[in-house]
Amino acid sequence: MRIRIKSWDDLVFQILVNGFLLTVLLVVTIPIWRVFIMSITPLAWAEGTSLGLWIPPGEWSNEAYKQLFNHPAFLQAATNSVIITVGGTAINLFLTVPLAYALSNENLPGRKFLVTFILIPFLFHAGLIPTYLVVQKLGLVDNLLAVMLPGAVSVYNTLVMKGFFEGLPEELKEAARLDGANEVQVLWHVILPLSKPILLTIGLFYAVSHWNEFFNPILYLNRADLQPLPVLLRNILLAANINEYLDYDAFARAPIAAFKAASVFITMLPMVIVYPWIQRYFTKGTLLGAVKE
Amino acid sequence: MSKSLSKFFLIAVAAAMILTACGPTATPEATEVAVETEAPADVVTEEPTPVPMEPAELEIWVSGRVSEAGPPPEDWVAYQIIQDELLIDLELVLLPSSAGDQDTKINTAAASNSLPDLFFVSRDTLYDLVQVGLVAPVDDLLPLMPVRTETHYSDPNRNALVTFDGQMYGLPDPGQIPMTDGLVIRQDWLDALGLQAPTTLDDFMTVATAFTFDDPDGNGQADTYGFCAFIDGSGLSNMGLGPRFNFIYGAYGVAGVWNLNSADEFGLNARDPRFMEATQFIRSMVEAGVIDPDWPTLSKDDFRAGWKQGQCGIMSENFAALANRSNYAAFDENNPEGEWVVIPPPVGPYGDSSEGVIIQTARIYAVSQRAIDEGKGPAIARLLEWMATDGYMLMAFGEEGVNFNLDNNGYITLEGIDPELAWNTSAMQPLTQLANMVYIFTDVELQARYQSHTSLNGRTIEPLAFLAGFSEQPWTEATGSAIINPPANAADFTRFYSENLVQFVLGQQDLNEETWAAFLEGLDSLGAADLEAVAKQDLIDAGFLR
Repeated sequence: MRIRIKSWDDLVFQILVNGFLLTVLLVVTIPIWRVFIMSITPLAWAEGTSLGLWIPPGEWSNEAYKQLFNHPAFLQAATNSVIITVGGTAINLFLTVPLAYALSNENLPGRKFLVTFILIPFLFHAGLIPTYLVVQKLGLVDNLLAVMLPGAVSVYNTLVMKGFFEGLPEELKEAARLDGANEVQVLWHVILPLSKPILLTIGLFYAVSHWNEFFNPILYLNRADLQPLPVLLRNILLAANINEYLDYDAFARAPIAAFKAASVFITMLPMVIVYPWIQRYFTKGTLLGAVKE
Repeated sequence: MSKSLSKFFLIAVAAAMILTACGPTATPEATEVAVETEAPADVVTEEPTPVPMEPAELEIWVSGRVSEAGPPPEDWVAYQIIQDELLIDLELVLLPSSAGDQDTKINTAAASNSLPDLFFVSRDTLYDLVQVGLVAPVDDLLPLMPVRTETHYSDPNRNALVTFDGQMYGLPDPGQIPMTDGLVIRQDWLDALGLQAPTTLDDFMTVATAFTFDDPDGNGQADTYGFCAFIDGSGLSNMGLGPRFNFIYGAYGVAGVWNLNSADEFGLNARDPRFMEATQFIRSMVEAGVIDPDWPTLSKDDFRAGWKQGQCGIMSENFAALANRSNYAAFDENNPEGEWVVIPPPVGPYGDSSEGVIIQTARIYAVSQRAIDEGKGPAIARLLEWMATDGYMLMAFGEEGVNFNLDNNGYITLEGIDPELAWNTSAMQPLTQLANMVYIFTDVELQARYQSHTSLNGRTIEPLAFLAGFSEQPWTEATGSAIINPPANAADFTRFYSENLVQFVLGQQDLNEETWAAFLEGLDSLGAADLEAVAKQDLIDAGFLR
C-alpha cells in the first residue's frame, strides 16, 4: 500500500509511527532471534565464549534439536498439545458460536437477563477448588477433556462474536427464514459462511490459550503420558538447571543453554507460524459490528 | 419467533453458561504461615512388631530425580516386585517440577480431600496441612521401618523440621548434600606468578590483585580478575550478597545472615560491628578492581561462562558444577593447563574463618490422615522400608547386571553393561526417578554419581576430591535458619537488606558507623526486632537454640 504524504506534519507523523513500530518489532524479534541462535550454538562455543546475537556460518549445530526430538516424552507431549489445541478449539467454537448467535438475536426472550447472567461468572469466578471438585466429580481427572472442557466458553470471546453477528444484515436471516430455513440452518448456511474473520480470530484466541495450557494439566493430569508441551518445557528448563549438578549425559552432547533454547523455540514455533496467516482477519473480525449503522 | 427457535436459543445459552462457569482461574499465591515447632521427637529404636501383610493400594506423589525424564515405564520391574513381595498395588505420580506448582497441586488436592496416601511436600505446606488435620503423625510408623528410621530419620535437626507439638508429621529424608560449595584457586596462576595460596584476608587481597593486574595467563591482555562471584542470595536465610561472599563474613566470625551461636547471641549478624567490617573489606575489593566489575548483575550462567573462559582466579563454586565431566569440558578446552585447587577460607583479623553456612535440608514425605484411617499405614512403612533395604539398589541405580554392576569393593561400575542401558544414560533416567527417596549420600552413591574423569592433558579430575576438600574446612552451622518463618513483609524486608548491602559495597552509599546505624534502623522499621523475637522463640522450641 502506498501512503501519500500531504505535508511535513504527515511525514513526521509517518516517521514517528514507523520508528515506533520498528522498535516494537525489534523488541519482539531480538529475544526470539537470540533464543534461536542459542539453540544452534555448538557445545564448544556456548560455554567457552560469550553468546552474542551473531554466530559465524559453519559454527552452528543442530544437536540440541536432535536431542529434543529424541526425547522420549517430546512426541507424546506434542501430540497431546495438538489434541488439546484442535479438540479444545473445536469444542470452544461449537459452543461459543450458537451462544453468541442466540444472544445476538434481539428477539430472544430474556436476552438482557441472559447476557447479565453470563457476565456474572466472568466477573466473579467460582474459584479453583469448586472447579477442581466439579472436574473430579465428573471423573475427568487424567482425561484430556479435563483441560478442554473447563472454560470451553469464554465470555469475552462470546461477546466479541455476538457483536460481529449483530453487525450482519438482518435481511439475510429473514430471507432464509422466509425460504423455510430453521435457525440451525440459518446459522450454518447463512451466518457462518459470512463469519470467516470472526471464526478465525476467535479460533486463534482459543487455540493459543490451549497451546499454552500449563496450569490445568498439572492440576488435572497425573499421568505423565498426558502432559502437553508446556509442562514438558517447564520440566526441561528446570531440569537443565538442576542437572548441571548431576553427571548423567542427557545434556552432554549439546550445551544446556542450547537444549533449553531449542525447547522454547520449538514450543513457540507453531503459534509464530500461524499468527501471520490469520492476522489479516484480526481487524475485520474484531471490529466488524463494533460500530452500528 | 417460533417455539423451535426459542428452544434452540435457550438450550444453547444454558449449555454454554454451565461451561462458562468452569472457566480458567489464576494461580493462587503461595500462603506464608507461622510455624510452631517443638523439640524433635526421639527416634524410636525399639524392636519392630511383626505386622501381618495386608494387600493394599497406594497412591504416592513424588518429586522425580530428573524432572524432565518422565516416570518409570509401566513394565518397570519394581512394580512387579512391590506387587508380589509387598502386596502393594502402587500408583506413582510425578509432581510438577517447580516447588510452587507442587504446592498448588497438593493444596488443591487437600482442599478437595483427595490427598494421596504418601506425598512429597514442602515444609510450609506441611505445616498448613497439619493445622487442618489432613496429614497424620508418623511416629507410629517408625518402628515398622527400623532400618529406614536408622538411615533416614535419625538426624535430630532434620526431624525438628517436621515436628509440631511434639509429634513428627513428616518423614524427613536427607535433602541436599551439605558443604558442596567452597573456595578454589587457579594453582597454575599461582605458579606462574610465583605466589602462595592466601591464608589470611591480607594475603587474599594481595593474590587477587596480582591475578588481576599481573597477567597470570600470560596472554598479554588485561582479561583476568582476582575474584569472581555473583549475587546468589534470596530468602531470609541467604539474603544480602549471598553464599559466594560468605567466606569473607566468615573471616570476621559473622558468616550467614543469622547468628545462631546461642539463644543469648541470636539475632541478625548485621547487628554485629564485625559484619560492617566484612562489608568494608568487600567494598575495598571492589574499589581495588580485583573483582569482576559485572558481579552485581551476573547470572549464574554468566558467572560460570566467565571462569570457563579463564577469567577468574579465585571463586566459591559448587564441586559438581566445577568438576563434573560435562561442566569441566569447556574450561578444559579453553585452559588446558588450568588447574583448580581447594584452599581454606582465609583467616580474618580476629582469627576467625569459615567457608560459609551449613543449612541442612530435608525432602519431606507426608502421610495423609485418610491413608491412616483406611489402615494403609503398615503398607506405607513396608514400602519405605523395602526401598531402604532390599529395593535400595533397584531404586538408586536400576537392575544389577542390566543397568549397573558392582565391583569387588562394592562400588558401582558399568563394566560389562550395555552402554545404552547404563543407569546414568539419558534413556535410563526414568528407572531411577525414585532415587531421591533412597539416597543417603553413602560413598557408593557419591562415587557412582560423581565420577572421576581425565582432562585433555591427562590429569585426573575428581569431583569428590573437591567435595571432600570443602568438607574439611571450617563451616558455620545454621540449619535452624531454615525454620525462621518469613514475616508478611518478607519481600520488602529482604529487598531492603540486600539492596543496602549492595549499595554499601558498590560505594553508592557511604559506609561508616552512622550509615550502618541508619541501615539497622531501617531494618527495625520493617520489623526486624519483632522478627528476631518470634524466630528466637521458634528456634528455642525446635531445639536449635539453647
